[in-house]
Amino acid sequence: MSKVPVDGLQNLQGEHDYDIVWPWTRPGGLRNGSTAVLRVKNEARSLPWVLPGLLRVCDKVLIVDNQSDDGTGEVAKRTAVDMGLGDHLDVVEYPFRVARAGAEHLAEPELSVHSLSYFYNWSFAQVDTAFSWKWDGDMVLTAEGELAMAEFGWRSFRKDVILKFPRHGLYVESDRRAYLDLSLHNAEGWGFPIGPDWTYTKSFEWEVRRRPENTVDAILPRGLCVELKYLDGDEFGHWTDPESFATSARNARKRYEWSVFNALTNGEVPEELITIDAPEGTHVIDYVTKTWLPTAPRPLKPPVRAVGRTHDEP
Amino acid sequence: MSRVCDRRVEEAGQADFSYGHPVSDTEDRPQQPAADPVGGPPAAGPAGDSAGEVAGDAEATAALRKRLRYPRRVVLVAGAGRSGTSTLAGVLQRLHLHVPQPEVDADTTNPRGFGESAWVVRHHERMLRRANVNMADARPDAWLDTARVAAMPNCRVPTSKFLEEQFGFSSEVVIKDPRLSWFLGLWQAAAVRTESTAVVVTMLRPPAEVIGSKQDHYSNRLGAPHLAASWLNMMLHTERAGRDLQEGGGRSFVRYTDLLTDWTSTVMRLGEELQLQNVLHAGTTAVTDVDSFIDPALRRTERTLAGTPISAAMRELVEETDAALNSMADPGGDTAEVRATLDQLRTAFVDLYADAEAVARSTAMAAVERGRREGREAARAEVGPVPAADDEGGATGLARRAARRLPEPVKGRLRDLRNRG
Repeated sequence: MSKVPVDGLQNLQGEHDYDIVWPWTRPGGLRNGSTAVLRVKNEARSLPWVLPGLLRVCDKVLIVDNQSDDGTGEVAKRTAVDMGLGDHLDVVEYPFRVARAGAEHLAEPELSVHSLSYFYNWSFAQVDTAFSWKWDGDMVLTAEGELAMAEFGWRSFRKDVILKFPRHGLYVESDRRAYLDLSLHNAEGWGFPIGPDWTYTKSFEWEVRRRPENTVDAILPRGLCVELKYLDGDEFGHWTDPESFATSARNARKRYEWSVFNALTNGEVPEELITIDAPEGTHVIDYVTKTWLPTAPRPLKPPVRAVGRTHDEP
Repeated sequence: MSRVCDRRVEEAGQADFSYGHPVSDTEDRPQQPAADPVGGPPAAGPAGDSAGEVAGDAEATAALRKRLRYPRRVVLVAGAGRSGTSTLAGVLQRLHLHVPQPEVDADTTNPRGFGESAWVVRHHERMLRRANVNMADARPDAWLDTARVAAMPNCRVPTSKFLEEQFGFSSEVVIKDPRLSWFLGLWQAAAVRTESTAVVVTMLRPPAEVIGSKQDHYSNRLGAPHLAASWLNMMLHTERAGRDLQEGGGRSFVRYTDLLTDWTSTVMRLGEELQLQNVLHAGTTAVTDVDSFIDPALRRTERTLAGTPISAAMRELVEETDAALNSMADPGGDTAEVRATLDQLRTAFVDLYADAEAVARSTAMAAVERGRREGREAARAEVGPVPAADDEGGATGLARRAARRLPEPVKGRLRDLRNRG
């Protein structure tokens, strides 16, 4: 779609309960503040690490649960309530199968409830604040990351700005050991205003967010966020198959992560990774995000630099 | 081959605070505190072989070593310039919190000193220049501009290295500069990187007095409406920035008048709220030093907004902001309700400023054009006399070459216009 309908979007399946009404057209419009939107499927394992930071620094955290069967929604609610921040969390269900990135997505019409772009537009249409964070259910803020997210959230008030967060892969082997990848220099856009110029449209392998002219890109420092990848988990299940990221330059990062993941599961540790062992009694994810990364000597760099992998991808 | 990384292995050598340019030790490096006739902090060396030692003074050495064992805290003294930030920094310094040395020299605008580290001031000035932001900038947009610059590694890394070095002098460090509010996030990040806790103190002074004081000391160059807008921008956003606290951090609001009239109860409350060990355990000598330092006559400007030439809308916004901030200085006053009020006031100010910008767009465009012309004239003055009109290498020659490339119908139309005179 080159032109975004002013009134919203209606899906092809006639599921009118899931038609999209843009939040800025609702009575009262948008309020100040920021909302982190997490579109998740079976992230119960990660949310106890992901949510606390977001709950502390965002005005609202919105979980859009897409057919989870591992208790994702309940874990999210319990995490927020345990922090005394239950009123900062909303959990909503999106009950349709969503196409996986790659060939499946490409074959899906944009206005289908199964389309990634429709799913994203519906998810962000539930936001009632002027600023939003597109966040993943496996991305954990560091101590410095929390401060940066809070700070840039309010400093971006009424600005056409995209906030780009560098993130680092953290391959979790056990509660005590993980492998940190500081070799990639990708900084994908994660913070966006909410408004008619900022809706999603369909791209080749996944969705993309529109942006108005003269948008400012603000790039945040490295060391603010890690992306969890469990070596005993299915970390590429949101892709149709490896063929979907096998050739295009857009997918170079995914190919690299695939090679790292497979090397680690085969017992080989790529030389650009840093092996981190947590002290007794501390989970390695807590150790990396609260202690290791915040206090690591700057500039952050890998033991050996991997080259040529800098593309933005979901 | 992977490696198990020892995160505590720091890069060898001294921290580089110079942005790649060599600087002399006396100019940019933290120095020993100068002798202070009214009882400044003891001269102590940085961490190292002589860490925690005051040569020839066993008692001072014991006291210093005790202070070095306190939990690390960095006290960020924020607020509009001329709000008493220098006085508070001076008080904390006399209670043995560390103000990084050397300091900016005292002058007639602040005869008892600024309590400002020269390095910190220069660091902030460089970042503001890079962001094209003025110290007292009234533009709400400037908050994003400064944050973008401060997020750059070559701003973050020197900040945390500098702070780490200061903890060699004391575990409680005071950072104060009227430019600090723009960079509260930067210092919070530095605190995280140095395994310390940042706390924020915001000084409050009646805005009419701040505006009046600035007019007095800076020759009234900027005008009351601009100074009022600048105060609103600074205070509304400083308050917002002060909410972003790391775990264990805290903030306090202090009225300048309270500090001058009853410094002991004001500073003790501060020490308790922010857990400043040097305040909580201050000795009698330090207390008498502060007593000598505090001078109620420092508050030389007592004015009200009634006498300040600003619009009714601006006055209302200033008064409401001042009232909300003042309520935060009461015990238990930092409430969700007051924060919500300040959120509304901040939005109202952003709207007011956007309207003013839109109204004054012609003025801004004229200023841009004037700047361009001045730039061109300056460039011409640098390169020497303008080439003759028929010189193909000069400006006129360039215009002629461009004209030759125009389509024939356009050339004809231009000829017609020229012939009409």
